[in-house]
Parts: sequence; C-alpha cells; structure tokens
Amino acid sequence: MKDIFFELSVRSVRLNFLRSLLASIGIVIGVVAISSMGMLGTNMQLQVKEQLSASANTITITPDAVRMSPGTTASTGIDRTQLNEIKESAGNNIVIPIHRSSTHMTVGSTEGRGSIYGMDPNDAITFLSVSEGDSIKGESDALVGSTLATNLGIRIGSRIKIGEDNKSVARPVVRVAGILAARGMTADGVMADNAIIVSDDWYTSHFGDKDLYGQVNVIVRNVDTIPDVETAINDKVNRKTQVIRISDASSRLSSISSTLGTITTFILAIGGISLVVAAVSIFNVMMMSVNERIQEIGILLSIGTEKGEIRRMFLYEAFILGIIGAVFGGICSLVIGYSVVGAMIGSTAYFFLPESIIYVPEGMLIGVIVCVISGLYPAWRASNMDPIDALRSE
Amino acid sequence: MSNTPLIRLDDVSKVYHLESGDFTALDHVSLDIMENDFVAIMGPSGSGKSTMMNQLGILDVPTSGKMYVDGRDVSGMSSLERTHMRRDIIGYIFQKFYLIPLLTAYENVEYPLILKYKKRDTSGKAAAVLKSVGFDSAMSIHRPNQLSGGQQQRVAIARALVNDPKILLCDEPTGNLDRKTGLQIMEILVGLHREGRTVILVTHDPKIAEYAHRTIELEDGRIVKS
Repeated sequence: MKDIFFELSVRSVRLNFLRSLLASIGIVIGVVAISSMGMLGTNMQLQVKEQLSASANTITITPDAVRMSPGTTASTGIDRTQLNEIKESAGNNIVIPIHRSSTHMTVGSTEGRGSIYGMDPNDAITFLSVSEGDSIKGESDALVGSTLATNLGIRIGSRIKIGEDNKSVARPVVRVAGILAARGMTADGVMADNAIIVSDDWYTSHFGDKDLYGQVNVIVRNVDTIPDVETAINDKVNRKTQVIRISDASSRLSSISSTLGTITTFILAIGGISLVVAAVSIFNVMMMSVNERIQEIGILLSIGTEKGEIRRMFLYEAFILGIIGAVFGGICSLVIGYSVVGAMIGSTAYFFLPESIIYVPEGMLIGVIVCVISGLYPAWRASNMDPIDALRSE
Repeated sequence: MSNTPLIRLDDVSKVYHLESGDFTALDHVSLDIMENDFVAIMGPSGSGKSTMMNQLGILDVPTSGKMYVDGRDVSGMSSLERTHMRRDIIGYIFQKFYLIPLLTAYENVEYPLILKYKKRDTSGKAAAVLKSVGFDSAMSIHRPNQLSGGQQQRVAIARALVNDPKILLCDEPTGNLDRKTGLQIMEILVGLHREGRTVILVTHDPKIAEYAHRTIELEDGRIVKS
C-alpha cells in the first residue's frame, strides 16, 4: 500500500471490523433501495414503451363525446360523413373503422364478459396476428383474444353465445375461427387480448350502429408522416367544432412515461430516505472512531502531521466504509432487483439493458458519496484538534 | 557552530483563560539555548514545565513575547508552518512513548520520513536508525502493544531521530521505565548529544537531570535557576 494514511484507515476499519460492517449495512440497504427501485421503474417504462411502440404507426381517432351538440342521438360515434372526410385526408394510408362494445358471452357452460370489436375481416389481419387457426372467412366467424381464450377455455371451432341469457330469445352464436397472439398493452385502442373480433356486418346486424363507429384507426405507411396526417384529418373533420379526438402512440407514450417517471422518482425518494438513515449511522461510527483515537490524533499532529493529512485519513475511512457498503449493496441490488423486477413486471427482458442496470453503479456511487459526506465533519473535527489537549486525553 | 542561539525565548508569557480566572503558566521567561546544549528543565509539578515543553516543541504559541527557533520567529507562524517546523527541526521523546498503535515498530520510524518526503522510505534509513538505537530488527514488524517499555522507547527515539532534527525534546523519557532500562535510554541520549545534537530534557528526577550540562529550574512559571 502506497499511502500510509490509507493504510492507517484500513487498519482502523479492520480493528473495529464488526462496528464498521454494521454501519455499512445501512449503506447496503440504501444502495439496494435506490438501485432496485430505479430498476423497477425503468423496467416498467421500458416494457410499456416496447408494447406501445408495436402500434407506433397507428393514429387512433375517437369521437369527442364531451362536445357533442345537443340534439344528436345518444349513440356517440364517428359517422359516415366524418369517416369519408378522414379517408380523404388520410391519403393512401389504411383507414380502419372499428365498432366496439362489451358483452356477456357463454362458451359451453362457462360464462364470461369481454369486449367485442366489429371490423372488416381484411382490415383485421393488417394489425392483428392470428396465432392459431384461421382468419374470419364465414359470416359468423370470430377471432378471440389470447387471454379470453385461456380464461373461457375457447378452442378453434368453439361456439360462443353472445349477449345476456334471457331464456326467451335465442342468442346469436359465433364460431371461433382463430385465436390471436397476445398483444399486451397497445396504443391503438384495440385491447384485443380480452375481446372477440367479428366482421363488420355481423356486428351491425346484432348490435346496430350501422355507419357509426366507436373508433377509426389510421395505419400510416411512413411513421414520420404521422404529424402531417393528424393535422390534415384535424383540419378537415374538426374544422367547425371539435368532433373527434386524435391520438397516437407517441402522445400516449409520453403521458404514460411521465406518469411512470413520477412514480419512479417517488419510489427513489423513499429509497433515498434509507440513505439518510445510513448517513447518520456512518456519521455516528466516524465520530466514535475520532473520539477513540484522540490521543493518536494528538501524536500524529505533534510529530508534524498536517491537518489535511489527518482529514484525509478519516475521509479514507469513511470512503472504505462506503466502498464496503457499495460493493455488498451492488451485489444485493442485482439479486434483489432481478427478483423484484421479475415478480412485479413479470419479465426481466429489460433488466440488463444499460438504462436499467445503470442504477446499480449509480446507487453504489451515491452510497460512497453519502459516506464521504458523512465523514466530512468528523474528519474536520479530528484535524482541528489541539495537539496538546489531544495528547493529554486518555 | 554559530553564536546565535538555536532557541531564544524573549520575555515569553503563557496565560490560560480559565473559568476560575486567568492562570499564568509562564511568566515573562527569557532563555537562550545554544546548539549542542544538553539542558535539563526541572521544577515541581505546576511550575510550568509542561507549558515550557509545549512552547519549546512549537506545539503552542506564547500569549506574549517572542520565541525564535533556528532563527525563525515562531510566534507569528501559521499553523502549517509550525507543523513543518515540528516535523523537520524537532524530535520528540515522550514519557508514555506515544507510538502510533496501528503502525508496526518499523512503520512508526518510517512515518516521519513519509511526512517529510510524501513517499515510502526506500533508502533503508528507517531500518538503519532503528538499528542504531539498539532495536532488534526481528521485532520491527511488531505493533507497539507487543513491545516492552524499553523497546517502545527505543522505537520512539528512532522515530524522533529519523528526520535528523536539530533539537531532541525529551519529556520524562525514563519515567515509565525500570531503572536499568532507563539508564540504557539515558546512555543513548548522551551518545546523541555527543554526536552534536541539542538535547532538552524535562524531568523532576535529579538523577536524570545530572546527565545534562545545564539545569534550568522553574517555579510558578518563572526561571529561578539557570
């Protein structure tokens, strides 16, 4: 070891090993709290981002229910005229009008509830992928979301009775042609995992709302043109009053991200509290170390040790405590963070990405800095002792 | 050898401000110590011996009066300058040895070299000085608490000598040693004086003071015999 003051600090820590270790536990907890909380938040954001970006090329248009003028029918939706205007403004991009509702359903003896979407079968396969079976071919064919299929035990060829069972009227039946791949959280407003997709015609013949759509999606061929397309649609359809609401993945993403960001900051702050507690315990141990070594400090000062060298010696000691805490904390963060992220998000796919794993070195660094800051006053106190008084103390 | 004194106290007073009132520990003391002097400072407890020792060791500054060490005015020095004076000019030998407990015997001797040169000693000087005071080199890896009193005082003397100080300041150097070991330590000090060092001995033991060539007696903060 080159530096005698570092060597003195190491020996002092080693001499009071148990005490130093206990003080470092505070730092371990602080580092773990900060790193795993940070990683949890980031993994949440990354997962949401990935799911939303799957439909990044989609503009979602919904009726602006709030500003419906009095006198219109209770049924709110995008009508034929508005749809045509959207189609005109959307250029050569794909426009998909979608009916939607929620309904009760029965499969065999199993009862359930889910969404039902009605759309052109050709449109459906442009953004939904069938993992099992076939797409909608016949008039009463349906596609079923993966979650709904699992929950109700639906297989290819299953028959689903749609609507409330009121005994007197026979309920319409759809045949399951295909089961969709899981979509997760999406930005295009089609939550297909817990839904049935039927053809446009089947939907309107049983649920009504012909030429009145719950939402219209525009799938843009070039993602960079999204702002232009949105402006064109808005200028056309909303020219008099606001009748439709236009959103896309990026606007949803930014609002969800900012919410998740706030949550992450909040839980990080909670983690930070544990570091404050750790700082107090490090401060305490450093003051003990200074007070136990008053005579030694007196010897060092009297034979010509500079104040700065004494300060350095105690700051090294705080630094060593910080390093011990940070190293253990870093290892624990990886283990605990991995488990927490796995348990709470259900996937650790993003755990080792730089933006997530960076919280481990960051947490460690903060832990070390907190330790050194906690050692500042004890070090200053040690260095400013009067050598005569210090020598005299027993 | 020049005629300017190595240490000069010029009308030095040291007053402690206590709650019970001011206490004058040194009262207008003037004193010259020449190079290669062997001086014993004596006096009953409370006579100002320790205060004098602290002044001579540049651990403290006078309340009034001037003090010069090696031609430099100590009273006006900054804390850092005084620290460097202590490191380079003075070697301290204490009654309680005051070795650094976390360092080995060898490292205790090496320590002042590190303070001065800001690097570990590679010249072998620390080992040589330890040997010159009769310290068994096999013991040099031991910590102070594993050494006998006599061994500790030898290490302390080696530590005091390693930076070639002009002044050796000894505060009851045999106070914690048995008679035989005390005599050995005194022989070492006599030898060092013979080599040309200035030795200042603070003691209340007249037998120890006999080794010195000059005795200064203090009483109530004043020099009563010089």
